[in-house]
Amino acid sequence: MNHPIKSRSWLIAALAAVLAAATACTSSPAPAPQPNPTGSLAETARPGVLRVLAGSELQDLQPVLDDARKATGVTVQLAFTGTLDGADTVSSGRADGKYDAVWFPSNQYLRLDPTGRSKVLSETPVMVSPVAVGVRSSVLADLGWGDGSKVTWAQIGDAAAAGKLSYGMSDPSRSNSGFSTLVAVASAFSGAGAALSEADVQKATPQLKQFFTGQKLTSGSSGWLAQAYTRAEPGRVGALVNYESVLLSMNRTLPPEQRLTVVRPVDGVVSADYPLSLLSSSGPGERESFQRLAAYLLKQDVQQRISELTLRRPVTAGAAPAAGLPTDRRRELPFPGTRAVADGLLGSYQNELRRPSRTVYVLDTSGSMEGARLSSLKTALGRLTGTDDTRGVRRFRDREEVTLISFASQVKWTKTHVVPPSGGTPGPEAELASINADVQSLRAEGGTALYDSLEQAYRVIEGQQKAANDDRFTSIVLMTDGESNEGATDGDFRSFHDALSPAEKAIPVFPIKFGEAAVGQLQGIADVSGGKLFDGGGSLDGVFEEIRGYQ
Amino acid sequence: MRRALGVVAALALLGGVTYALVPDDGPDPRKTVTVTGLIGSEKRAFFESPEVKAELAKQGLEVHSDSTGSWTMSEQAKSNSGLDFAFPASTAPAREIQRNWGQQDSPLVPFYSPLVVVAHAPVAQVLKDNKLAAQDADSGVWTFRMDEYVNVLRANRRWQDLTNAEGHGDLAGPIYVTTTDPESSSSGALYVALLSYVLNNHQVVSDDAGVEAARPVLHQATAMQGGQKSSSDEPFRDFQAGVGNPLLFGYESQVASLTAQGQSAGDTVVMYPDTTVYSDHTIIARTENGRKLAALLQDDDALRTLEARFGFRPQARPGAFAELVKGSRQPAFAQDLNAARVKQSPVPSLDNLLKLTAAAKGSPK
Repeated sequence: MNHPIKSRSWLIAALAAVLAAATACTSSPAPAPQPNPTGSLAETARPGVLRVLAGSELQDLQPVLDDARKATGVTVQLAFTGTLDGADTVSSGRADGKYDAVWFPSNQYLRLDPTGRSKVLSETPVMVSPVAVGVRSSVLADLGWGDGSKVTWAQIGDAAAAGKLSYGMSDPSRSNSGFSTLVAVASAFSGAGAALSEADVQKATPQLKQFFTGQKLTSGSSGWLAQAYTRAEPGRVGALVNYESVLLSMNRTLPPEQRLTVVRPVDGVVSADYPLSLLSSSGPGERESFQRLAAYLLKQDVQQRISELTLRRPVTAGAAPAAGLPTDRRRELPFPGTRAVADGLLGSYQNELRRPSRTVYVLDTSGSMEGARLSSLKTALGRLTGTDDTRGVRRFRDREEVTLISFASQVKWTKTHVVPPSGGTPGPEAELASINADVQSLRAEGGTALYDSLEQAYRVIEGQQKAANDDRFTSIVLMTDGESNEGATDGDFRSFHDALSPAEKAIPVFPIKFGEAAVGQLQGIADVSGGKLFDGGGSLDGVFEEIRGYQ
Repeated sequence: MRRALGVVAALALLGGVTYALVPDDGPDPRKTVTVTGLIGSEKRAFFESPEVKAELAKQGLEVHSDSTGSWTMSEQAKSNSGLDFAFPASTAPAREIQRNWGQQDSPLVPFYSPLVVVAHAPVAQVLKDNKLAAQDADSGVWTFRMDEYVNVLRANRRWQDLTNAEGHGDLAGPIYVTTTDPESSSSGALYVALLSYVLNNHQVVSDDAGVEAARPVLHQATAMQGGQKSSSDEPFRDFQAGVGNPLLFGYESQVASLTAQGQSAGDTVVMYPDTTVYSDHTIIARTENGRKLAALLQDDDALRTLEARFGFRPQARPGAFAELVKGSRQPAFAQDLNAARVKQSPVPSLDNLLKLTAAAKGSPK
């Protein structure tokens, strides 16, 4: 007899192999996960240790994990990454043997990939938080939204379109909170009661474009988003989209005028349930540790403590949600059922729906970059011009304006490209190839006039903004392998920055440390501009891609 | 009563994997041996319970378990030579594992649990107001009307179309029951089996024509859910956290275990589909230690009591379950499923169930 189960499993295994091969061909190295600052990750499995690749917001669970170690003898070592990047890590097999478990806000995206699904042996939701909109109280009052308990996504979209509501949201191609928001608004605007289809996304496109005119901050991580909100000038950013738990936790430290009223739109939310997930590649000892940890975390008293500490909702009967968590229910909007719909939605967001970006790269091509370093730079930056990018996670987007500035002792050249939208003639491909040609033409020679060249970037942006009079996400990436040794100094740059207009002051600079770069100088630039310092490591692999989340 | 017929279910789906340490073959007969096996996620709490562990330890056994909603179970059973037993939630995967292990005998079914629709009380009331559910005045037991539900699916009715649905924040959009992924979990596959039976005029689907006739509604009922979870534990935890779809397909044991252990289930209502499927927990022993475990689960009275405490209905002592839940009105449980007029639908053959599941998931013919 033919055994259906067997043939089916063969089919799935074959499909998995094909997909794994396809993934291996097309994906570039994802950003390296950030290790837990409080401890390093064991290289190999160790008794009593569970190595977990996790969402960065799980740092708030550390006190519970410390208690779990005392109660169960299991030490949890966390490394952090974005949810969708983490799903890639699991699907591609890069998590095998390196981690024993993963713990993201949601496994929904991971589960839509048959290979990814097969890599997870067991999963247990640990806590729940819906994605919500935190609105500054003064803005809430101006909009006449009362206590915020009756607001719909359509009202939020209308307020954004009318210029009355500006908000920050993390990059949906990387972060689960951004992706969940995108799914929720697309569902709400299309009127699709059930799971989204491609046609639903089409139908919702005009309203989605309006909604995203209000997005003033984007971010690859929710931590930086919260900082950017806090330092933004009053009135520039009136709301933040994030997990209810993150918004409520921020309120614990925000000054009264910046505090956020949590709005869970009445037409539906998407919730994260934080499944602690055992990888199929884990060993017997680690499975044992996983079981002990999961059982501990689901105990009623521990669930209560988790809720009080993190303001997420408990998943065990009898454990009450922490005080202040609203108990009235919201409709849960279904998550897309296929990767094609999910990736199509993400692609639309990046290339069509969101405000376009103005992205400036200030690239150190001094003599010390000669050889391997320059070729690393060309490879890493060139990868952003490839079109093999299903969910818009790295390539320069349709409508994006990209400026490359090559500098050493002074600026050598400045070249600007605008990527045309898809569907027209010419499409984006030719312009992307032209950006790549500029990247490949970089030559290493000369000293390092870091601050002069950075100031030049601001002037370039000023000119571009004046000429186009447009409204774009604007940011600067500054890559260097050395110390500024010519031209303007750190002090000069601070004075220069002080004299900028408020709009220019709001432009974040993302310095990349490479080779012998002076960390102090770069951190200073990140701090002054409200950017974030990135470590290019030895090869720049992944770092340019990671910064895409902030552009 | 041949309930075993009822759950010739689910593909290689079952809920989970228990693995274990190498059986200890030390000479001391009083030394506890560790038993290796595969189990479903719905039995995880049972095997993790200190009382169950203590009772098994008394008999010299130690079982370690982890859980998954994996369709890889029979593959796992094939490739893992260190197993003493496998314990899926239904008989179809049990058969497949028996075949892999070259066994012919009838495996034991120590306990079973009917599949139910779980909802919060206000939602159940709305269903009742619209004749989609009913509550027995004497016993307080709720039933869920499958024929009406199929009509709702066919007509694509929304909560807004029902009377008395306004004022409930979670009641908007199309009406449907959430399940686990039928390609990875028993309960999801059993939902497909049940729906196909009702769609086929209360006849088990036994040919391709029946599969084709059921395809549109099965596909719709699955596609509208979007992303589905891989094991029954996950949507139930979301439900307890107050998020997720208002109607959830799950095991009676998931709610009954709370009541039987004296915990509050809040405003949870258990609705028995007026035609439903049963989950037969079937244990296949491969070694002497595995056979010992199977026999204990079936015959040991203390363990039977504990099985009932975890919401299961022990086959050999039906009264054990009724005893623990009979005082409960919130939620109310059917102490006798026949008396509650809960009919049991047979499950299609494995071949046909695979075809139905593929149709539900929209896989090409």
